[in-house]
Amino acid sequence: MIELKHITKEYSSGEGRTLALDDVSLTVRDGEIFGIIGLSGAGKSTLVRCINLLERPTHGQVFIDGEELTAIGRKRLLLLRRNIGMIFQSFNLLEQRTAEGNIRFPLEIAGVKRRAAEARARELLELVGLSEKAESYPSQLSGGQKQRVAIARALATGPKYLLCDEATSALDPATTDSILQLLRRINRELGVTIVVITHEMRVVERVCDRVAVLDSSKIAEEGEVSEVFSFPQSEIAKQLIIPELIRSAEGGGGKKLRLVFRGESADRPIISKLAIECGVAVDILYADTKRIDGKAFGHMVISLPEDGEEKVKKFLEGQKVSFKEEI
Amino acid sequence: MSRLFVQLGAEGFLLGVLETLYMTVISTAVAYLIGLPVGVLLCITDKDGLRPMPWLNRVVGFFVNILRSIPFIILIVALIPVARAVVGTSIGNGAMIFMLTVAAAPYVARMVESSLKEVDRGVVEAARSMGAGTFAIIRKVYLPEAKPSLIVGAVISTVTVLGYSAMAGTIAGGGLGAIAVTQARPSGAEDVIWLCVVLIVIIVQVIQELGTLLARKTDRRLRSGPKRASGSKKIQNKI
Ligand SMILES: Nc1ncnc2c1ncn2[C@@H]1O[C@H](COP(=O)(O)OP(=O)(O)O)[C@@H](O)[C@H]1O
Ligand SMILES: [Mg+2]
Repeated sequence: MIELKHITKEYSSGEGRTLALDDVSLTVRDGEIFGIIGLSGAGKSTLVRCINLLERPTHGQVFIDGEELTAIGRKRLLLLRRNIGMIFQSFNLLEQRTAEGNIRFPLEIAGVKRRAAEARARELLELVGLSEKAESYPSQLSGGQKQRVAIARALATGPKYLLCDEATSALDPATTDSILQLLRRINRELGVTIVVITHEMRVVERVCDRVAVLDSSKIAEEGEVSEVFSFPQSEIAKQLIIPELIRSAEGGGGKKLRLVFRGESADRPIISKLAIECGVAVDILYADTKRIDGKAFGHMVISLPEDGEEKVKKFLEGQKVSFKEEI
Repeated sequence: MSRLFVQLGAEGFLLGVLETLYMTVISTAVAYLIGLPVGVLLCITDKDGLRPMPWLNRVVGFFVNILRSIPFIILIVALIPVARAVVGTSIGNGAMIFMLTVAAAPYVARMVESSLKEVDRGVVEAARSMGAGTFAIIRKVYLPEAKPSLIVGAVISTVTVLGYSAMAGTIAGGGLGAIAVTQARPSGAEDVIWLCVVLIVIIVQVIQELGTLLARKTDRRLRSGPKRASGSKKIQNKI
């Protein structure tokens, strides 16, 4: 379990001061994939770097499995970092080492014997599907391959946690998907708890169990992905999660309803049924369906006729469709 | 052909070449023995470095700058009494190696510092995230990752020391510089001076070619197609 308690981070550079994190508290549970999403400059990287103390918080405490990282000595910290792997947007591979050499690097740091380290490196290359690239240098690998090597390297010491700072942000959509799949597999099969930092909704949608939305140094909201994605509460979450919906619902008169379909309700033809059963015609202002965690998941904004409001609401309740009046 | 030219003969010039090479190589090597650790220190104690120690960084940087800003000719004169105290004499190859080393070490330190600062901060950060300590990061990240750039720096330093050694020949020690300045110039043996110049040019060329070749061969970033052109150009520009 990763616990951040009242983390504040202030950078003072020259004359200016930046409050990168403002009293941030959150808990990452064992076995989950936890997402932290926010716009650029929100403080995501600072937050994730506070977890392994690459950046020391100005105030607040960091606990890993109950041990307070912010209170231990440097030696112990270096040791504990082996239990927290990290990958980056720019991969950060050693350019002068082969893929295999890169994966051996953390093992050398940990004092593992050369033979054992080589065997472990091969094993990990196999895990990330790059066995035939063992002798390639980073400059000979594609972005996706580099990130796979970085993942293998981060897992070399068998960490319980993996921190990913914009790990897919430099990759194209197809490669992003394959890396996300790999992260899922690592989470499921190896039981590694993963923290994913991103500015892309897609990433959270695909892999995360829970998510925190970070907005200008503060956590705006936090919860199960399906919850936060159904009914984002904060302005920032709405902007990030359902930007088109917000735009489509702007302007125009009349009453509007936001519907959220989850699971099977997303697969039924509810609107045509509504038209037939209630005898009212509704205007669809916005509609979108996604799959999160294998389940269909949709948002819709409809405008209601003056007189049909009560009928429609009753019908929707009967159909177990969630709705909200304010967009 | 001048009398001196005949007098020196092939043997005399060869001796000059060997002495020049000997002093250059030894001085550069000793300069690296001192300059490399100082360069590492300057890099990691920088305010954005691995172990920021602004105070130490400023003090060391100050001394390096002072030594670097003294013109070599003046440094030699200033060092004559020091050389006498340290090496026991102010003339001859030993004294000259001492002077060259003093002049080159701070130069080497800055060279090393700038090479190490080229290493991607992200890579250093990744190593930190794995629990690598300062010493491990220097040994396994900074030095190996900066190797091609360090080799290029070593070439530039060697060539600089070579130039100094010719200059130092006017005061102490031997080599091509001494032949040209102390022997040939007073007797007006222009052919000797010119041959010395040609020999020095050849030595510089050879060192530079070999060094560039070595730097390029060790650089793993240059293996793939598109990066090759820009990578080697960068090295070429530096030299
Ligand atoms: N080393 C630093 N020195 C000064 N300011 C910094 C530093 N790192 C980050 N910041 C500032 O902190 C804020 C948050 O940055 P960051 O955590 O990188 O955001 P994100 O990863 O969400 O884009 C930004 O305003 C940034 O300029
Ligand atoms: Mg960032």
